[in-house]
Amino acid sequence: MKIKVMAFASFREILGKELDLDIVGEATASGVLAILAVRNKRFKEAAFDESGQIKDYVLLMINRKRIDPRQDLSTRLHDGDELAVFPPVAGG
Amino acid sequence: MLTIEITNEDFSLDELVRKAKRKDAGALVTFLGTVRDDGIERMELEAFREAALPELERIRDEAAAKFNLLSVEVVHRVGSLAVGENIVAIVCAAAHRDEAFRGCRYIIEELKARVPVWKKELSKNGERWVGHE
Repeated sequence: MKIKVMAFASFREILGKELDLDIVGEATASGVLAILAVRNKRFKEAAFDESGQIKDYVLLMINRKRIDPRQDLSTRLHDGDELAVFPPVAGG
Repeated sequence: MLTIEITNEDFSLDELVRKAKRKDAGALVTFLGTVRDDGIERMELEAFREAALPELERIRDEAAAKFNLLSVEVVHRVGSLAVGENIVAIVCAAAHRDEAFRGCRYIIEELKARVPVWKKELSKNGERWVGHE
């Protein structure tokens, strides 16, 4: 299935603005983040702590709806879903 | 009018006030956020536009319902801005000033907490994303 990853701010500088991933079998938010971490060491260092837990400042949206990275990482993704990765917002 | 915009272009606060004015509104409160000189040279603003616009619309609707706002104008800029340039403008019209003040305060505070927009400060010493770890 195809999953579109969108990255913003510091994560855009590491990953690029958009990535299309082809995933065989089931996909979850944590699975996609793990793929990104394997592919990109800077992303791994920015998003995960030494024990492999996602850092508190990493925020996620699936199809433009916020999910809680502490609780909803096992959320199943479907073909065509969009996962957005970004740091805390700072508008205004 | 209940207009929400995210734009690369500068805006006219006078024009926003003109759009927000209504005969039944006795108070218009404006908030204008600008790039502060904290020893920086420029600021770069970035938005997740497809998520930011609906979030701004939700905030506007919440504020309108809570504070009986009669009209709301919100403009947020993105792109590269110099010190002193406009970042964000909010205009709230209500029958009375208390509602207009409270509504305007609500919108800017919720915008800062919820709307997916980011700022990077650029100075002679380097660059820094605002609000990062």
